[in-house]
Amino acid sequence: MGRWPSSCRSELSCSAYVGASVSADPWGGWQAFSDAARSYMDSLSKASAQGASAQFGDFLRDQFASYSQPWGSQPWGSQPWGSAFAPAAASSPSSPLSPDVPAFGATREQQQRAQRMAQAAARMEAAQHRLQRLWSDVLREAASRFVSQLSASPPAAVTPESLRRLYDTWIDCAEDAYARVAHGEAFCQAQAEFANAASQWRLEQQANIEHWSKFLDLPTRSEINSLTRRLRATEEQLRSMSGSGGATRAPPRNSPSKPPTAKAKAKKKRT
Amino acid sequence: MTGCSHKDVVWQSGKLTLYRYQPITRPLGAAPLLIVYALVNRPYMMDLQEDRSLIRGLLASGRDVYLIDWGYPDGADRFTTLADYIDRLLAECVEHVLNAHQISALNLLGVCQGGVLGLCYGALYPQRVSNLITMVTPVDFHTPADLLSKWVRGIDIAAFVGEGNVSGEILNQLFLALMPFRLTQHKYVEMLSQASDPTQLKNFLRVEQWIFDSPDQAGAAFREFVRCLYQENRLINHRLEIGGRRIDLRALQMPILNLIGKRDHLVPPASSRALGALVGSQDYTALELDLGHIGMYISARAQREVPAAIVDWLAAR
Repeated sequence: MGRWPSSCRSELSCSAYVGASVSADPWGGWQAFSDAARSYMDSLSKASAQGASAQFGDFLRDQFASYSQPWGSQPWGSQPWGSAFAPAAASSPSSPLSPDVPAFGATREQQQRAQRMAQAAARMEAAQHRLQRLWSDVLREAASRFVSQLSASPPAAVTPESLRRLYDTWIDCAEDAYARVAHGEAFCQAQAEFANAASQWRLEQQANIEHWSKFLDLPTRSEINSLTRRLRATEEQLRSMSGSGGATRAPPRNSPSKPPTAKAKAKKKRT
Repeated sequence: MTGCSHKDVVWQSGKLTLYRYQPITRPLGAAPLLIVYALVNRPYMMDLQEDRSLIRGLLASGRDVYLIDWGYPDGADRFTTLADYIDRLLAECVEHVLNAHQISALNLLGVCQGGVLGLCYGALYPQRVSNLITMVTPVDFHTPADLLSKWVRGIDIAAFVGEGNVSGEILNQLFLALMPFRLTQHKYVEMLSQASDPTQLKNFLRVEQWIFDSPDQAGAAFREFVRCLYQENRLINHRLEIGGRRIDLRALQMPILNLIGKRDHLVPPASSRALGALVGSQDYTALELDLGHIGMYISARAQREVPAAIVDWLAAR
């Protein structure tokens, strides 16, 4: 099994998979797993199985530590206009972006917008941090389960099959641990809070961009939405005038479809 | 990629396309079957390749098969509502088929989210549906195994959607996050054992392309779907409203076949099973198969069992 065949990698590169936001690198992950597993199995003969298992478990915790949440990663680092509103700016009490500093003067509204964006970014960071802690709990529990299983029945020899079995065991342990945490109230709340914080941050960004677009006399999303609504209303009027509205039209009824048979009518609910 | 079987465009409206599949055997002459696919994925999964095609299985039995392709919504579709999808677009597709065949009712097959659309349509226009089939369709959105539902219940969906569409890419990340170790790593390592077989590799890549070919979602319809169903679970209380009209599942008195995947991680079996207790039909059949959500479309077992189950069930009515 070893390395990924180059043809396979190249075909995958052309597939939609690469364009998707999958955070982990599967072939890199597999390679790293294989190397760590080999090292673990080699060490079994030299050290205590318990120590080697724990070391292997630590490796696996690290491997997934950077998994990102589905609602998006921290946005302020990647946006040219966003770095000024990074959470640190809002958390410093002396910063003009801190909500504790009152906005005033001719630029009061701009200051308030900037404060709201900084607050939203800080909220996102806090939510992300909370999720990362829960993710860390998942990895700790997964590694612990895995180590227990390894200690109970360490693999006898380094073979492709034994590596693969180890890997499958790790994935089972990890998914079990994840499911337990992910179904929990704390994780659900943290996920929702992250999504809500990201929504707030995005809405503040949109408002800011709208403001500057109007200032520069560029078309804004609100204007396009307004036009879209007008067009939609016009289409609905046209449809109602022409009488085309799905099933509201009189149906053609030359030959009715087969009515339910007596057999069907007599049937009781079956499961 | 658009599927492997020959089909003709018979009607279009905006981004929606209604297809009719060309027969591959002598037609039965029975009422046609209209497949209503989900909005969140592309419908070619129903006809992925010759040996993995629910549609070919249906065509092989002589069934006349139509399929709705909702297309890829863009910014102009952001205000499209569930009423637009169900009471206008789906209703117009049904009318088109009924007119073409000069009949008063057809057979409807709703798949996944498309099953919800089909249930709503059937409840609004029961006289237009002679037999209703749902496949991996969520009905009770608050079952204990429904992780997706647990996650979205606390989300401020109005703020999340805003006035825009919802990115299909973000939805895909959400689906991957349901089983992140298995879906972002393990399945690719699994593929290693098949990498020397070009056919297997191509099969894998076809499914992979489909999985990540996720249209953006029209914002208004998405907001309604999440709020009314995932958050407020209105379908099971007969409290869902489409275009101001209540969806009462007790109005579904036609024969119903409910196909359920026992290992479905996206639509837990209990969520689909709930349908039986809610409909007014006295001819309700639930068929549970030992398959996952995607396995229900493309696994070898599904090819053997699902089209046959549908064909036999329809033939008996």
